[in-house]
Amino acid sequence: MTSATTAHSVVEPSATTRRFAGSLVILYAIITMIPLVWIMLTAFKSPDDAISYPPKVMFKPSLEGFCNLFTTRSRQTPEFIRSLGPPQGMCDEIARSRNMVVAGPSNYVPRFINSLIIAFGSTVLAVALGTLSAYGFSRFRVPLKDDLLFFILSTRMMPPIAVAIPIYLMYRTVGLSDTRLGMILLYTSVNVSLAVWLLKGFIDEIPREYEEAAMIDGYTRFQAFVKVVLPQATTGIAATAIFCLIFAWNEYAFAVLLTSGNAQTAPPFIPIIIGEGGQDWPAVAAGTTLFLVPIVVFTVLLRKHLLRGITFGAVRK
Amino acid sequence: MNELSASSRITYRAVMVRPGVARRIRGLSDKTLAWLFITPTILLLLAINIFPLLWTIYLSFTNYRANRANVPTIWLGADWYRSILTDPDIWAAMQVTAHFVIWTVLIETVLGFGLAYLIDKKFRGHGMWTTIILLPMMLSPAVVGNFWTFLYQPQIGLFNYVVAFFTGRAASSFQMLGDVTLSPWAIVIVDAWMWTPYVMLICLAGLRSIPDYIYEAAEVDRATKWRQFWSITLPMALPFIMLAVLFRGIENFKMFDMVNLLTGGGPGSTTEVASITLKRAAFESWRTGYSSAFAIILFVTVFGLANIYVKALNRVKSR
Amino acid sequence: MSLDVTPSVAHRGFTDRILRRGPLEAVATTIIAAGVVMLMQPFSLTLYSWSFATTLFGTVMFTIVSKVRE
Repeated sequence: MTSATTAHSVVEPSATTRRFAGSLVILYAIITMIPLVWIMLTAFKSPDDAISYPPKVMFKPSLEGFCNLFTTRSRQTPEFIRSLGPPQGMCDEIARSRNMVVAGPSNYVPRFINSLIIAFGSTVLAVALGTLSAYGFSRFRVPLKDDLLFFILSTRMMPPIAVAIPIYLMYRTVGLSDTRLGMILLYTSVNVSLAVWLLKGFIDEIPREYEEAAMIDGYTRFQAFVKVVLPQATTGIAATAIFCLIFAWNEYAFAVLLTSGNAQTAPPFIPIIIGEGGQDWPAVAAGTTLFLVPIVVFTVLLRKHLLRGITFGAVRK
Repeated sequence: MNELSASSRITYRAVMVRPGVARRIRGLSDKTLAWLFITPTILLLLAINIFPLLWTIYLSFTNYRANRANVPTIWLGADWYRSILTDPDIWAAMQVTAHFVIWTVLIETVLGFGLAYLIDKKFRGHGMWTTIILLPMMLSPAVVGNFWTFLYQPQIGLFNYVVAFFTGRAASSFQMLGDVTLSPWAIVIVDAWMWTPYVMLICLAGLRSIPDYIYEAAEVDRATKWRQFWSITLPMALPFIMLAVLFRGIENFKMFDMVNLLTGGGPGSTTEVASITLKRAAFESWRTGYSSAFAIILFVTVFGLANIYVKALNRVKSR
Repeated sequence: MSLDVTPSVAHRGFTDRILRRGPLEAVATTIIAAGVVMLMQPFSLTLYSWSFATTLFGTVMFTIVSKVRE
């Protein structure tokens, strides 16, 4: 990047400037992280610590939030609890100390699994369709190419609630409402536009000469696509897939309007985790933490391609 | 044009070499392949986006109600459009949206550009800190909205505690989400927290696209840093800033998930942005025809802005 | 971007000078922007009532104009 000659160039900021800029940015980064760190800390607090005033930074870690997230409990009389055998597992023990017994598993795990199935299903579909179309748009003369590309992008821009009204009616008619398949198709259609635009950018960067050389060697166009272009585009495909995954994972508007039980994903479920007398904040925080950790990991993996992703592949570096 | 004729020439040579392959090539000409590759995507979008859109347009001219599907549908013409576009309540919702859009975009642009400017100074470890700053924008807006309601709790919330700590007011003396004057700002704060990194990232790309030699020339001309900022940095980063502003504007114009979880439009209708009004009409009052008309109005607005956005995108692309 | 290098600038008529893609797109963009502002301004209900028609007109115009050759 900066060669030895430009290292002392007049445009390079001075050491003081750098240190000043650095400290301001770090300050912002720390402030911006506080809400996230706070919610993750809350996940390990006991309900009393979570709602104490002033807010507690130091506390005795507890897994009660996670227990409450994964189980449903019912209140019992102390006599009844004493009549039961020894507590089964840690969560039962915590529940009994609050005069409750574990009644069964909560809905969090099924909702989380729904999220996984729907996110991965729609990602695979969107990336597969997107790769094919992106190659088509990148390499062939397609009539009305610009209009088609704009049409594809504009579908992503539509307000979700505006789309949800007819989708609701349509799914009700064909029996797709509250099914995973319906949600997968819906998320695929939203993600495919991003996939086409992003992947077109990546494929545009692969020199045509590679395929042409392969075709001189006797490959058909399709073989050249599979054996030459796809391996070259692996990074782009992976980055696109992560973007699609994150979108489908995070989506709320369609999920809350079009699903109620069977196919409900985690985002509409987490806010309705309630304990006795209001929201059970440690449980909500625990659910939030488990839900956000994969995104944090993916963001770190994706950091080099974030810019492309948020500008539909237009800005590269 | 050129690449096509070139490739067909290559194909021709391949045909000469292997007659067995020739049949397959003839079966799958480039044109066929192009359509084969593109049609599945187009079909999916037609089925899940365009067909529903056309249906919405049809419904917006009728009295259809999704919860009373058996009532015969009556054609109403543009009645719903007329009533929405003269309704002071909907107009008020648009102004709530305007407040939200203008302030979030303003704050995010100022903060985002400032951060990008500082990060562009390439201090030690700027890569790691940039990644940390970017985290909020990748999170689920719904989950973010939900956990901010916890931070905004009047007595126990961290936000109120911090504000109380610095201003000396009692932490329970104000309610960010329950107060008519504060709640419009509560949603602005969360959105700014979440999306400033987005503007920052695009501005950073803009700043990095400015070649060094322009600054070097300015130094030769003895232009002050202040002057350089106003006549080089800002104008050259402007297309990128515009891109970020337009996209955030569109996104926040149709904002639903975060606001729905933070305030649900309340208290009263002080934070009822357009999408929440639409949701209430469509999925709570079940006035399907009416809400379809409103959806079309919002859609046309977004579609018009999307045209401008793509234009801005192409301008940035040519850089 | 669209620098005119044709020598016959002086002989070009009104249609050639004004009815080109660049300026027409700029007009359409302005109309769309005006429609959006009208939709959300707090001053006049009449302007609000006409916002949708304005945005729709601007959008249709933009779509048509983008087909005009450069």
